[in-house]
Amino acid sequence: MPQTDQVPHRFSKHGFSLEKAIRFFFASNAGLTIVILLLIIAFLLKEGLGFFPGYRRELQVYRIAGLEFVDLSRSNLSAHEQLASVLNRAYFAEINGLCTRELKRSQEAAALFNAFSDRSSATRELLVSNLGAGAEAHPDLLATLRKNHAASIHQALAALPATPHLTSAERADLLQSIATRDVTATDDPPLVASLAQQYAAAQQQQSVPLARLRETIDAFEAAGADLSVLVSDMTATVTATKEAIQNADILNKGRASLLAAAGHAKDPATRERLLTDARRSLAANPDIDAPMQALMLHKPVCCAAHTALRQACATILEQLPPTLSQPEAQRLLRAARSATGPFLANLANTPQRISEWRHDQPVPLSAAIGSFLTGKDWVTGGEWQDFYGILPLLVGSLMISLVALCLAIPAGVGAAIYINQFASLMEQAIVKPVIEFIQAVPSVVLGFIGILVFGSVLRDISQLDALAWVPGFPIEERLNIFTAGCLLALMSIPTIFSLAEDALNNVPAAYAEASDALGASRLQTSFRVIIPAAFSGILAAVLLGLGRVIGETMVVLLVAGNRIKIPDFSSGIGAFLQPSHTLTGIIAQELGEVPLGSVHYQALFVVGILLFAIVLGINATAHQFISRPRN
Amino acid sequence: MYNPESLIRKGLPKGHIKDRLVRFSLGLVTYLIVIIAALLFFKIIKDGAPVLLTTKAPYVDLGFLLDKNETLHVFHDARGQRHQLAASKYSAYVKDHAGEPIYNERTFSYSGGGIIGPIVGTVLLTVGSMVLALFFGVSAAIYLSEYAKQSPFIHAVRLAILNLAGIPSIVFGLFGFSVFVLAVPVITSTPSERTLLTVPLFIGKAVLSFQGWNSSLLAGCATLACMILPVIITASEESLRAVPQGFRDAALAMGATRWQTIRTCVLPFSIPGILTSSLLAITRVAGETAPIMFTAAVAAKDDLPWQSLANPFDLLSSQVQALPYHIYTLAARIPASEFTQRAQYGSVFVFLMIVASLSFGSMLLRAKLRSKLKW
Amino acid sequence: MVTDLTNQAAAPPAAIQIANLSFAYHAKPALRDITLDLPTHQITALIGTSGSGKSTLLRCCNRINERIAGAHITAGSIHIHGIDINRPDIDLQELRRRVGMVFQKYNPFPKSIFENVVFSLRLSGVRKRSELDEAAERALHAAALWGEVKDRLDTSALGLSGGQQQRLCIARAIASQPDILLMDEPCAALDPIATLKIEELLHQLKQQFTIIIATHNMAQATRCADHTAFLYLGKLIEFAPTIQLFNTPHHPQTLAYVTGSFG
Repeated sequence: MPQTDQVPHRFSKHGFSLEKAIRFFFASNAGLTIVILLLIIAFLLKEGLGFFPGYRRELQVYRIAGLEFVDLSRSNLSAHEQLASVLNRAYFAEINGLCTRELKRSQEAAALFNAFSDRSSATRELLVSNLGAGAEAHPDLLATLRKNHAASIHQALAALPATPHLTSAERADLLQSIATRDVTATDDPPLVASLAQQYAAAQQQQSVPLARLRETIDAFEAAGADLSVLVSDMTATVTATKEAIQNADILNKGRASLLAAAGHAKDPATRERLLTDARRSLAANPDIDAPMQALMLHKPVCCAAHTALRQACATILEQLPPTLSQPEAQRLLRAARSATGPFLANLANTPQRISEWRHDQPVPLSAAIGSFLTGKDWVTGGEWQDFYGILPLLVGSLMISLVALCLAIPAGVGAAIYINQFASLMEQAIVKPVIEFIQAVPSVVLGFIGILVFGSVLRDISQLDALAWVPGFPIEERLNIFTAGCLLALMSIPTIFSLAEDALNNVPAAYAEASDALGASRLQTSFRVIIPAAFSGILAAVLLGLGRVIGETMVVLLVAGNRIKIPDFSSGIGAFLQPSHTLTGIIAQELGEVPLGSVHYQALFVVGILLFAIVLGINATAHQFISRPRN
Repeated sequence: MYNPESLIRKGLPKGHIKDRLVRFSLGLVTYLIVIIAALLFFKIIKDGAPVLLTTKAPYVDLGFLLDKNETLHVFHDARGQRHQLAASKYSAYVKDHAGEPIYNERTFSYSGGGIIGPIVGTVLLTVGSMVLALFFGVSAAIYLSEYAKQSPFIHAVRLAILNLAGIPSIVFGLFGFSVFVLAVPVITSTPSERTLLTVPLFIGKAVLSFQGWNSSLLAGCATLACMILPVIITASEESLRAVPQGFRDAALAMGATRWQTIRTCVLPFSIPGILTSSLLAITRVAGETAPIMFTAAVAAKDDLPWQSLANPFDLLSSQVQALPYHIYTLAARIPASEFTQRAQYGSVFVFLMIVASLSFGSMLLRAKLRSKLKW
Repeated sequence: MVTDLTNQAAAPPAAIQIANLSFAYHAKPALRDITLDLPTHQITALIGTSGSGKSTLLRCCNRINERIAGAHITAGSIHIHGIDINRPDIDLQELRRRVGMVFQKYNPFPKSIFENVVFSLRLSGVRKRSELDEAAERALHAAALWGEVKDRLDTSALGLSGGQQQRLCIARAIASQPDILLMDEPCAALDPIATLKIEELLHQLKQQFTIIIATHNMAQATRCADHTAFLYLGKLIEFAPTIQLFNTPHHPQTLAYVTGSFG
């Protein structure tokens, strides 16, 4: 049958059709995922990229206003203060160590009394307020209040802390005196007071042979006075300059936006008004040269102060006793000694840095980027100077992840091996749903448990005398890297478990059969054939678990302790028991409080970009392992 | 020729002790996880259940579930009696007992009343985001499983899904904040100062202003939907692919169009699977805090979302309370004490029960589905 | 061929003695009352339709069937060189090292060629490199694979062709120097050329090993086997020297099967 162009074959379709529209609809929904991903990247970059120029300007202001100059001296001053504090702690550790018995007795008696007062204070205050002069309380009311108070005293006496260092006679005496105490009495019970006196006397007695150490420390502290005065003088000057520059920046910005608005305005009257406003806000460029010159005059004084301080410190530190008798004091003394070298070296080279410092040295963009990536300080909202250094956050995130993985890998992979290779069907039916259930527990609930239960339990455990040998014990903060790591481990176990179990399950049954036929025992089959064959899958499981851990927010926000500081590694593994902050936590904590578009706001988006890149990199690596052909 | 007697084992099998040891330690690790999980649930149930459950009928403290969240006032009256009253009852008390002194008054934020606000907010957020995610996600999955052939577009879609699935929830929070809160277009006659762009619509004074939806229910739902989209797509595609190819071939062979085939022979059989896996997605959406912190959630709110609204659409643009955010507030912002325990453990208990029943339901459904659908 | 017949008349002593063996998966019987003596250093073929129990019988000889839940012997016994292999005090690992097995689908481990071959030696604790090298070379020679792989012993076994992989599995099975080799349709997944190579190999291996081969390919049985057993629905129908079984079967069912009337 001849075909003409005008009459299409009945099987062919042209132009618009419903089918095509439906297909297009579904395709566009699939494309939505790409759009979302691109939007995420685009908006993170849009909000974040302005950070580096903005931060550069802040660093520039930091320099031209002279804050950087002051910080040269200020850093030495704070190092000096720290060193003095360590020495003081060593001194008191020595004294307290020498009169431990008196200290403990005094502390226990006071603790007992405080516990009693806490528990009975509510009823007592109520009673006292009705007894006071002018209070015309009804006798019945007073009787009720007295009865209530007596009951609460009775309750409080029933649950008081132990006092191992008091004799039972002393304890009985103390209990007697607090039970029969007048409700209006405010002074301490006699035993508490006398024990405190005994302690003070013992301290006094022990400090006599240490008088020389005391003098040395006092001399050391006094040596910093000159520099301290100098720094606080300069601080006032440079802060004023900085404020002037910042105000000018704000005015300039406002003027620029007024001018831009004027350019777009169609109505001549409006334009005129905007231009007038802009002219009025024309900022007088702040005078930075005069204060800077004044500041530069300080240069020789500063140098001199540093040299003097260095000489004073060097001689004073030589007079420290070689050893102290108490272990804690000895540890602190050693810490002070080891800090002395760098401190003196810094003091020595500061004069040169001071004289070389120039306020008009440019701040390149790379300096801002470098300061972000390698900065050890994340200081925001301070009066002095904001710094956006990612290191404390990154280190915190990595340390928490390390703890979490150290716990979750053995647990998750071990459980996967057990369930896949050795468990009975019955065991599988119990364990698998439980682990699946852990996965469903929202992270905020885990954080809640961490903050209200786990942290305190951990602290109580760490205070056991039997565990005193563990580095970092007893812990100072109940919310720390380790606490957060434990909870994150619990969170990532389901991920690691189920993916590792899948990987083990996907190993062809023929491998196990062949291995058995070759005379392998069950254990040999598992560990020599199946687990190696599933290895890349297990590795992927671990990596995906790591991605989940690094990206987790609520647990670390609640439980990590939120102290923005690189943990002190000098205490070795105890560094893991210090609080920390994280990449995710800082965003969650600060985004709600920063002004839109500020450098701080942008910094949080850059942290988001970094987080995005890290997690995506980890996941991409994991998927490489999953998709890699098995050989 | 070897000695056949060597087949006979002397004593215990070789490596017997090692075998036992390895099994034991692996088992120990496994059951340690189970025990820790059990302890965790036990602790929450032990401290949380007494808040919600009572010994008298109806055995549930409806007040905790149905009252609004308020500040808790703790004080002693002149008779030395201690009272714990939520703010509204406290003011009623003060009115009733005018002139009587009150002692030792202390207040605890967020600790009084009930949690109806957070519950309702979480339900609204979950329903809203699941509606969005299911609509777009199932459509995308239909394309991937029914229409798609190998092409650069499909490759890009799959890559995007894979990457979206791995993005940390806080980054979704940043994304939702910068896009839905600050940048998406709205139609308004008075564009805000921070608008990125305005497009005149030539209908009265209305303009299309790219100024975002502010922190609102809609912004929160959209953010959560984006987050859960890859999960929904993957699960739906799996359910769609589980429908045997024969069904499609048969329908197509009878002259049905693609869409007719999908509508009559594919979707109906995959819907149970899609819904089952959506239940799991719901637990995730309901439990997330980080994405809604800046996009929808508010710590304290006097009214329920739909109360005191000028028009029903304002519901979408109002902020809501949410259970996970409420728990975050209770855990992070108020110190633990005997008076806050009720609110803290009660909320966590309710939240965990909701999540647990969803996840348990999904597990049951999945098991049922597996035994029922066999083709 | 005719000379073969006379040799078989004076059959060597049995390596495996199966006596009244019945076997079941759960309650479903798979083997019924089988009695069979498999001669040493000869090739015995087990033929039959699928489901006839030939694989099951083979897998009883190294007790690999026990891997399947519910599989158990209901009656009878298997003796290897006079030892009852179902005694409770049998060293199962040792048994499987003495009775090697090759599977239908070649299944080398995802390890290097070398590691595959020395797998069973490593299991029994051999650490010395020289010993392992020697054993690997010997096994690969015996499996006629040495020439093809000697330069790439450390590459992945999964990079070999199908026939090579199957011969590698044979090398792996004989590396621990068993004296019985069970082959469960070793050529079912291979192309004709690879099949031919394996069959040639069987003739060489016969010198050292007692070989039992399950096959559904009757031509293969006639080409390789000295003796053939025909199983049907779990019962041993007929066991005879191969030529006799194919040329002059005693049993009508055997006749029907070998002439292709059913199955």
